[in-house]
Amino acid sequence: MTAPAPDTVGRSVGRLDGGAKVTGRYEYGVDASRPGMLWARLARSPHAHARILSVDTTAALAVPGVRVVLTGADTLGYLASRYVRDEPLLALDRVRYPGEPVAAVAADTQEAAEAACRLVRVEYEPLPVISSVEEALADDATVIHPDWASYWVSPIIRRPGGNVVSHASLRRGDTAALFESADHVFEDTFEVPMVHQASLEGRVAIAEVDDAGVVHVWSSHQYPFGLRQDISDILHIPLGKIRVTVTGVGGGFGGKLYAGAEPYCIILAQRTGRPVKLRYTREEEMIATSPRMGATVRLRTAVAADGTLLAREGWIDYDSGAYSESSPGVVSVGLLTLAGPYRWQALSIDTRAIYTNKAGCGSYRAPGAPQAVFAGESQLDRIARELGIDPLRLRLHNAVRDGDLGPTGQVLNNVSLVETLQAAADRIDWDSAGAGHLRGKGLSCTWWTTTGMPSSAYVRMDEDGTFVLITGATEIGTGAVTAGVAQICAGELGIDPADLKIVSADTGTTPYDFGAQGSRTLVQAGNAAIAAAEDLKSQMFDIAAAKLGCQAEELEMSDGEIRHTNDPELSLSVSDVARLGGTRGGLLGRGSYEQPPTPYDADSVQGAMIGAFNIPSFATHACEVSVDGATGEVTLDRYVVAQDVGRVVNPRYCEGQVTGGAVQGIGQAMFEEIIHRGGHVMNPNFTDYKLPTLSDVPHIETILVEVPSDSGPYGAKGVGEQAIIGPPAAIANAVRDATGHPIQRLPITAERVWQSLRGPGTAS
Amino acid sequence: MSHPLRLTVNDGEYLVIAAAGAYLLDVLRDDLGLQGTKEACAEGECGSCTVLIDGEPVDSCIYFAAQATGKRITTVEGLGRNGAHPVQRAFAALGAVQCGFCTPGFVVAAAALLQRSPNPGVDEIREALAGNLCRCTGYNNIVAAVLAAAGSQDGDA
Repeated sequence: MTAPAPDTVGRSVGRLDGGAKVTGRYEYGVDASRPGMLWARLARSPHAHARILSVDTTAALAVPGVRVVLTGADTLGYLASRYVRDEPLLALDRVRYPGEPVAAVAADTQEAAEAACRLVRVEYEPLPVISSVEEALADDATVIHPDWASYWVSPIIRRPGGNVVSHASLRRGDTAALFESADHVFEDTFEVPMVHQASLEGRVAIAEVDDAGVVHVWSSHQYPFGLRQDISDILHIPLGKIRVTVTGVGGGFGGKLYAGAEPYCIILAQRTGRPVKLRYTREEEMIATSPRMGATVRLRTAVAADGTLLAREGWIDYDSGAYSESSPGVVSVGLLTLAGPYRWQALSIDTRAIYTNKAGCGSYRAPGAPQAVFAGESQLDRIARELGIDPLRLRLHNAVRDGDLGPTGQVLNNVSLVETLQAAADRIDWDSAGAGHLRGKGLSCTWWTTTGMPSSAYVRMDEDGTFVLITGATEIGTGAVTAGVAQICAGELGIDPADLKIVSADTGTTPYDFGAQGSRTLVQAGNAAIAAAEDLKSQMFDIAAAKLGCQAEELEMSDGEIRHTNDPELSLSVSDVARLGGTRGGLLGRGSYEQPPTPYDADSVQGAMIGAFNIPSFATHACEVSVDGATGEVTLDRYVVAQDVGRVVNPRYCEGQVTGGAVQGIGQAMFEEIIHRGGHVMNPNFTDYKLPTLSDVPHIETILVEVPSDSGPYGAKGVGEQAIIGPPAAIANAVRDATGHPIQRLPITAERVWQSLRGPGTAS
Repeated sequence: MSHPLRLTVNDGEYLVIAAAGAYLLDVLRDDLGLQGTKEACAEGECGSCTVLIDGEPVDSCIYFAAQATGKRITTVEGLGRNGAHPVQRAFAALGAVQCGFCTPGFVVAAAALLQRSPNPGVDEIREALAGNLCRCTGYNNIVAAVLAAAGSQDGDA
């Protein structure tokens, strides 16, 4: 879409849902209800790994107000997870993590449902617990999914057996020869624990079944069309008998991309004939929903004496937990992000997802990337330090540039890494003398995708000339729909964005969209909205041209008027056209957009569901820290992000994505960790799982770099995910600069830094 | 065991029958239909459920409804009696809202801050709002919105 941008683009206009949100009137999933609604609750396993010998629901059913109790025997053949269907809705013969659902209750009140869950009697026979990737890969390890071969599996997935979910690999060039001849070889291992999306609104859904058997689901969800497909696949309901309506979404960050609470609501609604609502508690969110995978990252890098990166070998073992959810896709992202945005002569990378007896992991903003980039960018600083090269110069020397090939052979265009490096370094005064004892600066570089796949939109003109955008895209808070796409669409229609109405994210009323994932909404739904607006305008111009006695091509539309380009007196108001249009049965513009897949060297990868980054974008993070030598406490004094967004549509919300992503990344870097013991989560609450607060983070300094893409609206690139990737490495590098000691495990706590200060190589 | 409770919420008088030990948050949301106040952690850590009791912010998820009798309760719905409160307008205008789930708690806490300290500095704002978690914005625009609201105060607090 190379047309000139309308004047609504590039301005910080307010979002259309802002007023409702600040006054408390916005309706979220937790606020929704239906007449006659029952409450659901799940009884969960207290064991990490056990055989189920018997389940007795007698006492649970006797609780006053309880309408139905379902167990694994009632849900045979209902298997979840989109790529490897390995997760029973309710455990039948074994449980594989603490918190796995074993029974589902529907009752008149939440209290009755909770009481009934406590009275579901399950007899377990404990099995050996696999509490780490290392244990899972041992030769004599208990196999967590002995029936794996019987599961439906997405064809691209490659798996050797045992406790491996999937294995992706990348081979390009002759790594062996380069390692043989290189001046230097560096080898390091890094550890990253699981972290949680921790959206403030957890998973919540309502399901209702009508007399014709049509299922209507209301859910706080990021991807209604994907959810509809999941429900169809899991419960064997035809797609056409399912409608998904997205409620207000109180945060997603990837945690609401797959079926969660919804299938339970549906089976309970089918049994009772009543609407059923299920809302997860914070503890359920923390113990039994899909966090970011933990990872062990090992990498070897061959480097020439002048700092030229030659070849990298890498191995990432991601901890998928007991089920696969999105891990088969995420492992392929590890291939691209462990290579990083640098020129390589050869690469050999293997990434695997491994089953353990923890809650199954899923997608979290830039899935798979922070683990890999923490390792790769930390090692780059070690290389720079040991070769006596400035870390900024080392990165500039090796950075990819226009026309270079990416790790899997994709041709890189509109590359902006050098611009972001220089902008971030300038802002943090990189070259100024060291700030003093136990103070340090750090850098990290990232690259990320703008996911493609289809988006569609309608733009409707009502009888009075009101424009309504009807989009399948979902507003999860970013502003991509209620600010960005609205601005784009309003601009194309020549109206104030505040005058545009939006209907979105309902499979019953809106056209298909691939969902709020992969930093794609503004770009893909924006392109669809442009196409729909153009289609509507051409219909309006045909009507106006007939009325005005001119050619449709001679007309333009702005400020509610359609005018002749050369004779402004020759004009018709939009509302006049609407009335004329109304006599023809109303006007509806239609638009669809799907980018062709990005070409890459398909022979270079195996088992990879994602082989290239679509419309890649680049960023550099720079920070300054001070370390308390007595306590190890790290204070983040300054934090700078320079990120290429292609073209800024709304500066305020664009920056909001960057600052929000950066602070989530700072959380992973410094505070957040799901602590497990024998598969059990030890910190399933916000008291013990520390999210960053206003007292923990500085003002985030943002620099929006604009190197336009060829296909995003007016050059826009994806924005949402990238900023979460950089902080762990940037902060670790700054701490290393301050103390001289590397940090190779997240989070970078005071205790870990204190230990590193007390002995070389003792950081754990 | 349930008890009748007389509550003053947003200048209105209400009589509710609440279970002994009912939390104020649940009474507000479930009995009075004031759903603007949100629950996110249910243990007083995140501030999403913040309401004002006699002008002071409290976490209503761990505050017994019975404790609130005889006191003045203000929820997000009761801010800004002549249209939106300056804090609400600034949050909407300046990008301090993304998903918005934390927003009711933030605007209530920020309104209390401005009532107490009409022209707070950045450090004072950061300290006063450190008990409210936001997972979306990274906080920059929240601080900016409170500063802007302080600058535009028109006595509508």
